[in-house]
Amino acid sequence: MPIPLGYTENLITPKSDRNVEAYWTHVAKGSGDSLILPDGRCDIILRFNEHHSKPPTPIVTGPSTIPYTVSFSTGDTWLGMRLRPTRGALLWKKRILMSENSVLREQDAIKLVPELFQLNRVGLNYSDFKRVLEPIFSVNVVSTNQPMLDAAVDLIHLGGGRMNIDDLATHVGCSARHLNRLFRQSNGLSAKAYSQLVRFHRGLRLIVQERHAISHASIEAGYTDQAHLTRSFRRFGGFTPSNLPSDLSIPTLF
Amino acid sequence: MKLGYTIIYVANVVEAVKFYEAAFGIKRQFIHDSLLYAEMNTGQTTLAFAANEAAEMGGLAIQPNTLSSLAAGWEICFVIDNVQEAYDHAIAQGSQPVIKPTLKPWGQTVSYVRDINGCLVEIASPVTS
Repeated sequence: MPIPLGYTENLITPKSDRNVEAYWTHVAKGSGDSLILPDGRCDIILRFNEHHSKPPTPIVTGPSTIPYTVSFSTGDTWLGMRLRPTRGALLWKKRILMSENSVLREQDAIKLVPELFQLNRVGLNYSDFKRVLEPIFSVNVVSTNQPMLDAAVDLIHLGGGRMNIDDLATHVGCSARHLNRLFRQSNGLSAKAYSQLVRFHRGLRLIVQERHAISHASIEAGYTDQAHLTRSFRRFGGFTPSNLPSDLSIPTLF
Repeated sequence: MKLGYTIIYVANVVEAVKFYEAAFGIKRQFIHDSLLYAEMNTGQTTLAFAANEAAEMGGLAIQPNTLSSLAAGWEICFVIDNVQEAYDHAIAQGSQPVIKPTLKPWGQTVSYVRDINGCLVEIASPVTS
């Protein structure tokens, strides 16, 4: 599981007290294309090239559920801030419901997050990025549903995305319908969609890191059969389990 | 190979340790500083508790043990001569009663409770040949 060269990530802990999951940076050491796997989170990103004197491009992403490819050249730099799952509405407000796989750039991004305007200059660094964005998300979430949502996210991760939504809802004390709605309102994805994403990542890790046979990984990851796992890999990764990209980098979030 | 540990994944390791001490009279061996793992003093086969986070960190996917869900299909069994007394004590300390002490045809008295995490615990007399 190669972590791309030049990628660093600073995870924010403890997880129960935070809206921000991580600040991350990536500096491309060469040029090429990179496959980005969906992680169901919302990010604020500034992209620029350290060798050019152009201001950065601000980017705001909705929760991704499909893979996408990023092309880059030497010196391309990304400064990123990733929100925890279920915190996307802090960024997108009511537009969160339409934000799945959305990407806003330039003025559209600044319109959503006006603070990004302050970062629209050459010579930007990680500290500037963090200093401007940190105050926006340091607020405590006031929603009374947040503890329930956090508990649901923890359970989804604990069960590798295998727990069905009815059981999940019972565990956190609400109906499946209500839980899915709360999830959508807070992160743009249903609890079911997020669970499927978590299950995909675990299945992928079992094959890539544990080197399990596809049939064994299908069972352990909770797919009904190999064809089911293959459909999930196509949907979330754009590849089949028997033909994985050799330079795949897997997020460490799941 | 020998059976070394029975490790139960729980939401709160310290609470589980305190509960087992109070309800079943077994003592802690140690609680790790991280509060993510603890061992009880149970002789050659160690009963231990690990936090759900530890399962996740280890790459496992598990069904959480909770009192509100159906018990997982396995149990641990404590052996004691006076089952009724131990059963009553366990209930008084917060165990959920399941099956009260019952004399089996083979001469053993067995009872079942669920612990604060919903794990099935049998309290039984020794099996005599």
